[in-house]
Amino acid sequence: MKAKEGVLGYLGRVLTAELTAVHQYLLHAAMCKNWGYQRLHEHFSHLADEEVRHSSGLIDHVLYLDGTPQVEHVDTIAGGSSVAELLEADLRFELEDAELLREAIAHCSKVGDFTTRHLLEHMIIDTEEHIDWFETQLRTIKQVGLALYLAEHIQDGKS
Amino acid sequence: MKAKQGVIEILNKILTADLTAINQYFVHAKMCANWGYDRLHHHVKQRSFDEMKDAEELVEHILYLEGVPNLQRMNTVHVGETVPEQFKADLKAEQEMLALLSDGVVHCTKVGDFTTRHMFEDMVKDVDQHIDWIETQMETIKQVGLEIYLAEQIKKDS
Repeated sequence: MKAKEGVLGYLGRVLTAELTAVHQYLLHAAMCKNWGYQRLHEHFSHLADEEVRHSSGLIDHVLYLDGTPQVEHVDTIAGGSSVAELLEADLRFELEDAELLREAIAHCSKVGDFTTRHLLEHMIIDTEEHIDWFETQLRTIKQVGLALYLAEHIQDGKS
Repeated sequence: MKAKQGVIEILNKILTADLTAINQYFVHAKMCANWGYDRLHHHVKQRSFDEMKDAEELVEHILYLEGVPNLQRMNTVHVGETVPEQFKADLKAEQEMLALLSDGVVHCTKVGDFTTRHMFEDMVKDVDQHIDWIETQMETIKQVGLEIYLAEQIKKDS
């Protein structure tokens, strides 16, 4: 299948963003584990897995459109010296990601590539859920204070 | 735990090679899927996931040693345009990884970091196995011919 104009360009940009997210969440998961926040560790690991799934779908789709997936670069990985900093950096990242996805979805509609649009629409659902989760965490921290929030994340989510 | 001299640098170098390998295998797996070689697709994908587990372990170990893991850097991803080219590129990546890990083992012994050495040694075992697997595939292609080899890769292992 040959891609419509500009679609592979957008898919490449979205793929770079997803790969960046995989690395960033991998790092944040490990940092939370190192600090002893097991529950946050698990959530970040889950986010990393989800971004791997997105990357996987994108690479499949780029190949299906006879394109060459570029997997060599990631954008700037945001670190942080505290949980709050990590959450803020991730929220910023997801907001940018959602903006890029919206742009890409609009482009696909314009050139009439509804398969790619469908794929990206599934991704933006996840992205918006991530945004909501980060916003909730940051709001909770504001409401209950950082120390109480962190204390609640020492245990894993199962117990 | 504070790291001994030079250990964090080596860990980060191996992490970079590992992050590169994850993506290289991932793309190769996907290309095999796209070509219809289901059996290879599953094997190479599993390899990519194994590398991902290694990367996770490396990041955690760097943090444990109070270092800063570098997830920004990646080496060149060598993508093969055909199945034999993929094997060649992967073999090269694994051989480079083996060299890095071997240097790491020697260095850790020298500075007395036996925990990190132990981790590297576990990884060397995996790398050796993978090199062996790739070499077997290349040898089989030589013996039976590429067409017959590829025909056997269409079906997934049941």
